[in-house]
Amino acid sequence: MKKINFIKYISTGINTFGKCALVAVCVIAFSGCTKNFEKINTDNSGVTNSQLVPDNNIIGLYYPGIQQNIFGEENDYQLCQNLNSDCYSGYYMSPDPFRGNINNQDYSLVDGWNSDVYTLGYTRVMGVVQTIEKKGTRTASPDFWGIAKILQVTAMSRVTDYYGPIAYSKVGQGATTPYDSQQAVYNELFADLDTAVTNLTAYVAANPKLTPFAKFDMVYAGNYAEWIKYANSLRLRLAMHIVNIDPTTAKAQALKAINDPGGLLTTNADNAGLTGYGYHSPIWWIGTSWTDLAVGASLTSYLNGYNDPRESKMISPATSPASIAGQYVGIRAGTPVSAKPGYTGYSLPNFTTIGEYSPMIMMPAAEVWFLKAEAALRGWTTESAQTDYETGITTSMTQWGASAGSYLTDNTSTQANYVDPQTPSTSAPNASINAMSTITIAWNSGATNEQNLERIITQKWIAMFPCGGWEAWTEYRRTGYPRLFPVVVNNSGGTISTALQIRRIAYPSTEYTNNAAAVAAAVTMLGGPDNGGTPVWWDTNKGQAVPKNF
Amino acid sequence: MMPCIAMGASSYPNATSKANFTVTSVSRAVKNQAPVSGVVKDETGSPLPGVSVSIKGTTKGTRTDGNGAFTLNVAPGDVLVFSYVGYVKKEVTVGSQTEYVISLDPNPNSLNEVVVTALGVKKSEKSLVYANQVVSGDQLTAVKTDNLMNSLNGKVAGVDISPSSSGVGGSVKVILRGSKSATGTNQPLYVIDGVPMTNTSNANGQPTGTYGGSPDGGDGISNLNPEDIESITVLEGASAAALYGSQAANGVVLVTTKKGKTGQATINLSSSYTNDAVSYEPKFQNEYGAAAGSDESWGTKLASPVTEDNLSDFFRHGNNLTNSINFASGSELAQTYFSYANTTANGVEPGDNLQRNNFTFRETGHFLNNKLTVDVNTNYINQKIVDAPGEGFYYNALTGLYLFPRGESILPYKENYAVVQPGRNGLLTQNWDANEDVQQNPWWITNKNPNYANRDRLIVNSTVKYEVNNWLNFQIRGNVDRVADNFQQDLYAGTNSVLTPGADGSFTMSQQVLTQMYSDFIANFKVPLRGDFKLDGLLGASITDDNTVGTLYGAGLGLSIPNVFTEQNVVTSETGGAGANSNVSTLPNNHSQVQSIFGSVNLSFKNWAYLTVTERNDWSSTLAFTPNESYSYPSVGLSFILNEALKLPDVISYAKIRGSYAEVATPVTQYITNPINYLGAGGSVNFNSVYPNPALKPTDTKSKEAGLDLRLFNNRLTYNFTWYKSNSYNQFIQYTPEASTGYSTGYLNAGNIQNSGIEMRLGYDILKSSDFTWNTNMNYSFNKNKIIELNPSAPTTPVVLTGFGNNAYESVLVTGGQFGDIYGYKFERSPTGQIEVGTTGAPIANTTPQLLGNPNPKFQLGWGNSFSYKRFSFDFLVDGKFGGQVLSMTQMLLDSYGVSAASGAARDAGGVAINGVNPSGQAVTKVDAETYYSAVGGRSGIGEAYMYSATVVRLRSADLGYSVPIAKSVIKSIKFSIIGGNLIYFYKKAPYDPEITMSTANGLSGVDVFNAPTTRNVGASFTASF
Repeated sequence: MKKINFIKYISTGINTFGKCALVAVCVIAFSGCTKNFEKINTDNSGVTNSQLVPDNNIIGLYYPGIQQNIFGEENDYQLCQNLNSDCYSGYYMSPDPFRGNINNQDYSLVDGWNSDVYTLGYTRVMGVVQTIEKKGTRTASPDFWGIAKILQVTAMSRVTDYYGPIAYSKVGQGATTPYDSQQAVYNELFADLDTAVTNLTAYVAANPKLTPFAKFDMVYAGNYAEWIKYANSLRLRLAMHIVNIDPTTAKAQALKAINDPGGLLTTNADNAGLTGYGYHSPIWWIGTSWTDLAVGASLTSYLNGYNDPRESKMISPATSPASIAGQYVGIRAGTPVSAKPGYTGYSLPNFTTIGEYSPMIMMPAAEVWFLKAEAALRGWTTESAQTDYETGITTSMTQWGASAGSYLTDNTSTQANYVDPQTPSTSAPNASINAMSTITIAWNSGATNEQNLERIITQKWIAMFPCGGWEAWTEYRRTGYPRLFPVVVNNSGGTISTALQIRRIAYPSTEYTNNAAAVAAAVTMLGGPDNGGTPVWWDTNKGQAVPKNF
Repeated sequence: MMPCIAMGASSYPNATSKANFTVTSVSRAVKNQAPVSGVVKDETGSPLPGVSVSIKGTTKGTRTDGNGAFTLNVAPGDVLVFSYVGYVKKEVTVGSQTEYVISLDPNPNSLNEVVVTALGVKKSEKSLVYANQVVSGDQLTAVKTDNLMNSLNGKVAGVDISPSSSGVGGSVKVILRGSKSATGTNQPLYVIDGVPMTNTSNANGQPTGTYGGSPDGGDGISNLNPEDIESITVLEGASAAALYGSQAANGVVLVTTKKGKTGQATINLSSSYTNDAVSYEPKFQNEYGAAAGSDESWGTKLASPVTEDNLSDFFRHGNNLTNSINFASGSELAQTYFSYANTTANGVEPGDNLQRNNFTFRETGHFLNNKLTVDVNTNYINQKIVDAPGEGFYYNALTGLYLFPRGESILPYKENYAVVQPGRNGLLTQNWDANEDVQQNPWWITNKNPNYANRDRLIVNSTVKYEVNNWLNFQIRGNVDRVADNFQQDLYAGTNSVLTPGADGSFTMSQQVLTQMYSDFIANFKVPLRGDFKLDGLLGASITDDNTVGTLYGAGLGLSIPNVFTEQNVVTSETGGAGANSNVSTLPNNHSQVQSIFGSVNLSFKNWAYLTVTERNDWSSTLAFTPNESYSYPSVGLSFILNEALKLPDVISYAKIRGSYAEVATPVTQYITNPINYLGAGGSVNFNSVYPNPALKPTDTKSKEAGLDLRLFNNRLTYNFTWYKSNSYNQFIQYTPEASTGYSTGYLNAGNIQNSGIEMRLGYDILKSSDFTWNTNMNYSFNKNKIIELNPSAPTTPVVLTGFGNNAYESVLVTGGQFGDIYGYKFERSPTGQIEVGTTGAPIANTTPQLLGNPNPKFQLGWGNSFSYKRFSFDFLVDGKFGGQVLSMTQMLLDSYGVSAASGAARDAGGVAINGVNPSGQAVTKVDAETYYSAVGGRSGIGEAYMYSATVVRLRSADLGYSVPIAKSVIKSIKFSIIGGNLIYFYKKAPYDPEITMSTANGLSGVDVFNAPTTRNVGASFTASF
């Protein structure tokens, strides 16, 4: 009511004095101006969708991001791999006492680190693949869709191997997503690879000369034949993961991979390594700029014991303390390291061979030879397990520019003992430890399958360095090989056995807040408490003292 | 009217100009009456409308019109009484003149009586329906600080002021009546002469984590010259600020600047110098040095420790020299004000230097028979800050200084902070043994990690006001505030590899220009009503446009030629195609625009009841793409002057009760409603990861306040009381969508953050004789913050202000908690409360972060006193912030490195005494000092052990002045003062000053991460008027 009076008086004033400034300002300010608001509220430092239509950038430019997030940049790589599976696989151990030496490396699982694995897998890979799907890629560009599925399987197989049951088949269908059992996830992964191989094979047959993906390809420069090889090799890897729990499916999928006309990765030219688009090796970055990583004691103990010709190519000698300078000495997992520079002089990756822009290898060809060796060992193929095993080693030697020499016939060298000159000290338990394994290098057809499997997995483990920590931890859990030193200090509060070693990591707390019912059901499927001591579905070895794979 | 007010007025010693006081005892009946006319003006020469003109001893009278003119029939010898609220009553005996020009002076004893309110509108104190507090310019300039807002500390109730630890010229955090916004700014709106001002720092912004980063280069308010300020009015509540709209939900600080005065020509000179020394240092041990190969001081007991005071080798005395001069003069038609000020300040860390020059020119002209007034005010500010110290772990000289092994002299590292790198033809590298990201050689940082923050700022503000008649005027204002910032950081080859890529040094630079354009149009009207009611108000429209443009030059891959700090020397690509690792990026435009219309009506009844109603409608560009672009909000308030309405005891000179309710809506930040994609490295695109929410709407703050203003004993005692409560609904909350949606971030409106509290002020003129006066005043404020609700679909998920990272500190909002709660780790305890000790013998931290405390003060007290004796004056201010807890990560690191006094004492005592239990259930009473502090201290240790009371009581300032007697001279006055700031801590339990903050944004509150210590300032000042 007052407002009406208000306006009346003002109108009187305007009429009386012929001033229409108020009206003018109102007209100028309001009638015409809010239509610019959408322009004002668009960030000019970004890129709109319409600007990305040319050259299929609107789909294709999602791929560099997906590919980089297989491993992630240094921050993500450090949390998702370097401070857990890289350590659990014996490759690395940080010389930096993160969180006062109470963190994933000594089994005190840090929720904020574990949740990053989800972020990387779901947000930066699978979510993006779904976005691509919504843009019609599945039908409009089946070749691009095939690549997306291969990348998704690469990333998400790692997520399920970390956790067990995960959300997969229903992802993107609602605000909260039910989890699948790990068996169901594996079936989906195989089905996704079916799609990829089918799509790409058909495209290559129809368009043998076209490389529409070249601009966006960080692995094979648009060569779909290579992508098919990688997809088949990935299938073989996943098939082998489940051999102990579901041997029928494992064998069927392995044979499907081996027999696919597209073939497998065979030479180092086939290695599935990520490079380009400004992506730099997170290992190089963490090791040189942050000085947050060193190699693990398990790795140096095998390389030292085997007098491995690759050792000087893979890693560099320790520089301090003086007693170990010039030797190859890693840090044992779970060592309560003192603050820098306490352990920063221990062996590092060789940053001459592992450079800033060296490819981050998702899968080396050598790994495939060892997978084929295991398939032969299991009698699934008629190939010679020994030939595959030895080809795996020589392929790896070539990859590192090393010469095998008499390595293949060395039937005496075994893992070396480990001595840490900095322990025992007043405050740290003794990290020095005797060798865990007596396995030798040379193939021994008279040995048991179990012994030869240890040989195969141990050599595969060496060959997958430096990027393969994630897969190496999976294979360690599946087979119990290579024999790895247990953690020096176990801060799990009794949930993880030092002897059996860590079997998985816990679901991130964000899932308990955002997706509570689903994660509760997942824990039921897991069949044990949601901690690092509960084995995942395919993990039948469970860290036993004498692994049994046959 | 009421007898008591008549008595009150007449007994008010200064209310009547004695010079004009004339006693008349004439009989009006026998005199011939004739009309006289005249104009009444204020102290600046502007006409004063509405002045009451009466003939003493009669009921006859009139009021001046819109031009300040009056006409009245009088007889010779009659005494005309001119009275106007806020001005000294004036009596003039009618003589033979028929034209009078009357100039009224503001009432010096009632600064509060005319108050500058929202939009620069002056209102009588009586009619205000909300609390406000005025601080005069003199109070701001008595003891100068390098950011003028620090001068308000302790003087105003309900204001929490936290200076940042970023050295001279750093920003300051000002919170009025508690923090209200979970994600937006909680700082008030600054308004200069009715026009909103930008208060941003340079492109670096504020640190967001404990690592810190590049220094901020100072906020906007610190750029002003305090000598230009006439007064500052603090409008704490939303009711006071509702007319300013969304920007003012956190309250408003109104700055009124000086201008020339009619009929006076004055020159004021002022000069002030302070010498600044660190007011505290951490406590160190001197018995134990570093073991071989270690940079931590956990070695054996030293036979002969070096007791060099390493801190004194680094810290220096800082200083602040401010010189200013202003010229003010004015005729009836035009008034001129010109000022220049230079501030030179040096921080206590070597190299830290501020240079600031302020130029102000203001001209006010009156045209068309005083109907048209044009007022133009121009400010130019040039500020250079060199080597502002880094905050947090990185680029901070104090980490290396404090963590340096004890028992050794740091002098060799000072004298030779750089040494030659082998094989590089004399190229230098730093001389420092510890190789870790958190520490470098302190002198390497001050010499070889320099930073430069330059600011050029121009503020032009013009007002054109036209008096249509005595009940209507129009006003158009335009303001441009252009702030050009340039920041550069040079990191020489040899700087820690985490901080600089490559081995040849690195270079980063940002250039940013922020332009704020503001314009408004206001019609002020007074409705001529008959009888006891009066109605006035305003109707207006405004537009505010903020736009930032700029470029960021990143470090790329470091430099090509070592230590050549130019853009073209930055390595941007070693492999990959064009644009791989580009180091140049566009700063977001941060363009936003708010358009508004607003109105306000004031209705009064018989000078004792006042009603104010306001309504404002905003259109905000930041809500484009939603249906909520337009939103409106009202306020309403009432005040009653009890002493005029009722008969009260004579002891009560003035009594007012007031109450108000207001809503203020605050829109979301720009671009959130329209998430788009961004270019990544090497030609990739980072596609949008924000879950689109097309329904975002403004945060709505609803606030109530009520209060009482009293003056007793002939105004000698004043008392103000205010109660308030505000609830901010529809908080703009960031959440993490379920991972499988593919989006990493979402935004929604939800929640309710409540602030309630009281403010009190008490002032008393204890002594008031001709030689000796003593005035004392106290202010008290209490605020209780409560997070009533956050995201209802994830009620246990906190809103994170500062995340953990690998640290011991997290600052969050949790439902049921308070703003900025500090979370960290506690000791794992057995059911009987014993600290659990692990297999290594060290205490175990529990695995989930727990509430450790809240840093906000529970209540604040300020106590100021002013004495004057003849030509001497003495002022001092004591203030205290009580309650709250803070975390010292500095202490955590000093302990874990074995350099702290506590770590030494523990070793002397054979370990740290605890009530613990080991895994086998045996009692543990002592833990080896190194084992204990390595686990409990350190970057990610057990914060529970490092929480300290934030209560601090200090002698904030004191000054002793002497006015030199002046005989007849061109010099009007000279005054010398001895001044001091932050002089004595009467109470401080934390190992640092809990008032300082690492960030003036919402995060990093209540944590000490090697914050630079506060300083104790002692000096002298000099003022002279001509």
